[in-house]
Amino acid sequence: MSDEIIQLETPFQFNEENMKKVDELIGRYPIKEAAMLPTLHLAQKQAGYISPAVMKHVADLLEVTVMKVKDVVTFYPMFFEEPVGEYVIRVCQTLPCALRDCKVVLDHLKEKLGIDVASETNLAKGTTEDGKYTLMKVECLASCDVAPVIMINDDLHKNLTPEKVDEILNNL
Amino acid sequence: MAFIKLNDLEIEVEDGTNIVEAARQNGIEVPHYCYHPGLTRPANCRMCLIETYGTPPGAPPGTIAPDRQLATGCTTTVRTAPPERKYEEKFDAIIRTDSPRVVKAREDILEFLLVHHPLDCPVCDQAGECDLQDFSHRHGRDKSRYVEVKNVPPKKDLGPDVLLYSTRCIVCTRCVRFCQEVSGTGELGLINRGSHDEIDIPRSHEGNPIQVLDNKLAGNVVDICPVGALISKDFLFKSRPWFMDKEDSICTGCSVGCNITVEYKEDGVYRVKPRFHEDINQHWMCDDGRLGYHYVNRDDRLQLPLKKVDDEQTTTQWADAINTIKEKLGEVEAEDIVVIGSAQGTNEDNYVLQQFAHDVLNTTQLGLFGQLPGEEHKYPQFTIESDKNPNTAGARTILGSANGNVVLEGEDLWQKVASAKVVYLVSGVPDRKLQDEEKAALENVEFLIVQDVLPSEITELADVVLPGTTFAEKDGTFTNSTGWVQRIRKTVDPPGEAQVDWQITQQLAKQLGSEINYSFAGEISIAISENVQGYEEATHQNIGDAGVKLA
Amino acid sequence: MVQQKRILYEHLDVPNINTFDVYRQHDGYKRFEKAIAEYQPDDVSKMVMDSGLKGRGGAGFSTGLKWSFVPKDIEPRYLCCNADESEPGTFSNRYVLEKNPHLLIEGILICCYAMGIETTYVYIRGEFTLGKKMLDAALEEAYEQGYLGENIKDSGINVNIYSHPGAGAYICGEETGLIESLEGKRGQPRNKPPFPAVEGVFMKPTVVQNVETLCNLPFIVDKGVEWYTEMGPIYGDARFDPPKPDPNTGTKLYCISGDVNEPGVYELELGLTCSELIEVAGGLRGEEVKAVIPGGSSAPILTHYELDTRLDFTSLTLAKSMLGSGGIIVMNETRNIVDCLLNIMKFYAHESCGQCTPCRWGTPWVRDIVQRIADGEGRQEKITRPKFGIAEGGRWGDTGETEEIYEDLDLLESVANNIANVDTMTWNTICVFGIAVSWPAVSYMRKFRPEFEATIREGKLTTLSVEEATVPPEENYAFQQRIIPKEMSELG
Repeated sequence: MSDEIIQLETPFQFNEENMKKVDELIGRYPIKEAAMLPTLHLAQKQAGYISPAVMKHVADLLEVTVMKVKDVVTFYPMFFEEPVGEYVIRVCQTLPCALRDCKVVLDHLKEKLGIDVASETNLAKGTTEDGKYTLMKVECLASCDVAPVIMINDDLHKNLTPEKVDEILNNL
Repeated sequence: MAFIKLNDLEIEVEDGTNIVEAARQNGIEVPHYCYHPGLTRPANCRMCLIETYGTPPGAPPGTIAPDRQLATGCTTTVRTAPPERKYEEKFDAIIRTDSPRVVKAREDILEFLLVHHPLDCPVCDQAGECDLQDFSHRHGRDKSRYVEVKNVPPKKDLGPDVLLYSTRCIVCTRCVRFCQEVSGTGELGLINRGSHDEIDIPRSHEGNPIQVLDNKLAGNVVDICPVGALISKDFLFKSRPWFMDKEDSICTGCSVGCNITVEYKEDGVYRVKPRFHEDINQHWMCDDGRLGYHYVNRDDRLQLPLKKVDDEQTTTQWADAINTIKEKLGEVEAEDIVVIGSAQGTNEDNYVLQQFAHDVLNTTQLGLFGQLPGEEHKYPQFTIESDKNPNTAGARTILGSANGNVVLEGEDLWQKVASAKVVYLVSGVPDRKLQDEEKAALENVEFLIVQDVLPSEITELADVVLPGTTFAEKDGTFTNSTGWVQRIRKTVDPPGEAQVDWQITQQLAKQLGSEINYSFAGEISIAISENVQGYEEATHQNIGDAGVKLA
Repeated sequence: MVQQKRILYEHLDVPNINTFDVYRQHDGYKRFEKAIAEYQPDDVSKMVMDSGLKGRGGAGFSTGLKWSFVPKDIEPRYLCCNADESEPGTFSNRYVLEKNPHLLIEGILICCYAMGIETTYVYIRGEFTLGKKMLDAALEEAYEQGYLGENIKDSGINVNIYSHPGAGAYICGEETGLIESLEGKRGQPRNKPPFPAVEGVFMKPTVVQNVETLCNLPFIVDKGVEWYTEMGPIYGDARFDPPKPDPNTGTKLYCISGDVNEPGVYELELGLTCSELIEVAGGLRGEEVKAVIPGGSSAPILTHYELDTRLDFTSLTLAKSMLGSGGIIVMNETRNIVDCLLNIMKFYAHESCGQCTPCRWGTPWVRDIVQRIADGEGRQEKITRPKFGIAEGGRWGDTGETEEIYEDLDLLESVANNIANVDTMTWNTICVFGIAVSWPAVSYMRKFRPEFEATIREGKLTTLSVEEATVPPEENYAFQQRIIPKEMSELG
């Protein structure tokens, strides 16, 4: 092999509180593997992103191969394989938001934060240098009645205009 | 048995057979990629679409029309239906694989499959044995309408012997399923989603491997890849498939006795691939066996007899070597001679050898030599045996088949060897390391005759070395650990003046006045069938491609 | 004007209805108590069957019929509640989860009682963080109050409900994709058969129901089948003699967005027309309706000629579209249909799970063609092909004439149809995602062909007036082939 197999010198460990949660999650299903998505969400909350060490730890806990975890992580856009900003800004760009000028909101955010939009395989290009913001496009957030919308971390912001965006960013 | 109408054929197939197989059994090709008879069926390639017939909802009973949706042949199985549910009062199913809808669907799917596939057939190893090439030729359109930019995912190193040319991959997931189901090691999976799907091993985001494809069955993923995406490093750029000849044979890597196909040219063996045997290896073989052929092609193969003169081995003529042996054998008593057969040799080699020992030398002291035991590897659907010889069972039985013959092994053998004056050791074991007691015993022998294929610690000790042949250079049979007697077949010529092992033994016998005179291995198999208990059915003619299981 | 009929949403805006106490004050869990006190499980199933309730998730399959396929002798059986609301234009489940989660729990309890199910997973899309939080809180309360867990209210019934977050994949809204995802794998839909009712999650019989469907159950149990079937039309399927009843009963949470003055969720009896709904939603924002998507972004588009179509399962299907999940997106005269199609095709190309060949590589191909046209790089070459239209006997078909069409438009239509054919309703894919791609692609192109042609011809996005952009009714394949269903009462 041309590449060295990477050694995981600092393995990821769930903290005590999360470990309890993982145990509880695993108990919900007849097979451990089924706890994959909630466990990964927890891991991402704790670690910030899904590193190889996280994958390995989750694989061990759920008794699956590392590849199975990798396979899942790369399928679902909500899991990050790279560090992201403190605030992840998801801008909905699907038709109902597009009909309500989401592009104006997106362009405003790009200009204001001075970054491009992240792609799923390159989050770095959509992350500010200070590591504060990551800007990404997402598909329909199921809030078409209050379009255009963005999500900042877990919070949805509705009926946006550039002015409202400024206000929201200022209040973060 | 189910009675079905397949196109215009009215055929019987076993219950539970899928349409791809039913068609194949009747000479009809249903093109497919993701379906492999040894794996589960995700029906993701959509290539094997067929038209099934049924009674439309609301239509009067007895009405038969094509179902609205095409079905995948790989997941559509046929079963005997109760009388009231038979079509035209006799058929359990009516299926067409040649209707205009099916023909169009195949063209459409092939067009999609080729959207991102590069046109690099001229430099692709798979060209000539590529399902994408073949099915495109037979079922596809002559041109693509795709004018957009093609995806160009990177080439990847997956493991010690496997490369992935991702651009060529059609994401059939056969390799992924193989690693989950057969090897159970799960190194391969899909990454990303949609048109960005790629096969890969787990890696960090930067691309460094977390695990590599290094299980001992990994080479099979190359065989089952229907396109040129998974490539064996061992075979990379070595030959066009159509330039190689092929012969069915048996793997010599262990006592499982995997059925193989040896692909070769005049200058040597190029590749070994597994061949289906339902009861032995299914569709698979291990990498030890797959890559174990290299010794056949080695430059240092023994090509001429060697004779020790003044403690120095020099090449000599066959006549001289045989004469030297004849003279020496004339000097000793029968009880001072030990004849050792090889678990790497064929049943035929060993039969002639024991005949020579028993009938010509009048010795009943025989031994069995072979490769040292190795590790056993158990996978969910495959086991690699710890006995690294293909024919231990056969050699043991056949060497001991004549009246009074004793076949010594292990410590008993080396004790006997240590006190013998002449030892005739047929080895043929590539790169056999000698253990201390073995070496000591052989050093003690007054006159050591070694018949082998490669120079080794053993040949160094020999007074006469006779150049023998590998499995690739002779016909014969092996008996595996579960009692299957199977054929190996000659592919390449032996190097230099090397000779088939039983022929060497026969020459010696003739020199000593024996009338042993076989002209081909099949003839010996008849003698074996007549004289060795259990081998009554095991003539070459009976064995054929499927093998014969000992009673 | 058609009036809202708020049943599922009746108490949605009651302050703190998300808490057990307030929910209880509004008859919360009393419908479930009534179910277990007054009915046997089979009675509940029969009521659901008789109510004509059709699944609200998109396919509109009869809920009662689906339940009848579940083998009762295989244990355990599971219920998966589909709260992976991802269809663009749909947002009614979100409000239930965020504002009235106990209603969903009560619906689940009734379903579990009827089907003898002890474990339910609510698969919530990952982006619904608030919805999941509210549901989890409600679940906790329900456990505390003894409405979940072992031996609920001394009835001997055990029900556990777990919420399970998705992670941003549209395809997990497909029922077998959801099941795969729930099992901790990629959300790649399974081949059917076997259907989930027979072999679903963990290979056990599984009922998969949308949030809205489950929320209907308490009211059916409480107020009865007769009350329920009075809402919405019951059509007669004239293929059968006598006509077979085809109920489109109940209310629907219509989600309306785009160019209307008051976008939002409106709970209305099934069967109002598209124009009526626009009126309910405060009327059009703009001068003229150019187009309406009637059932989420995968539904074939309707032109302004088709606004009299009733928004129910049967009428829309017979109009060669679908009600789907009830997400109505309205577009006014300023909208460019090519641009709208591009937006939708980007969505589908992003969301294709990549499992089967036609969708994996066909969907991005369709997107690329539309992108090229929208970028003004559509090829000017034209090809000649058979013309479809009103053929002999007044029926839609091959007219025997030929027409000229831009090569790229022919290609767009052909590639989309090769993924899933909208005319024959056959798909080469594993799941119905294929048809969700080709429906918009083909319907937009055919119904607004002049706008596509103008865009190619001009080499830039060109928006025509509504009249100019829309093919006239006599050339509209859907309009010409549509069947307007008759209600049973009309058929006598």
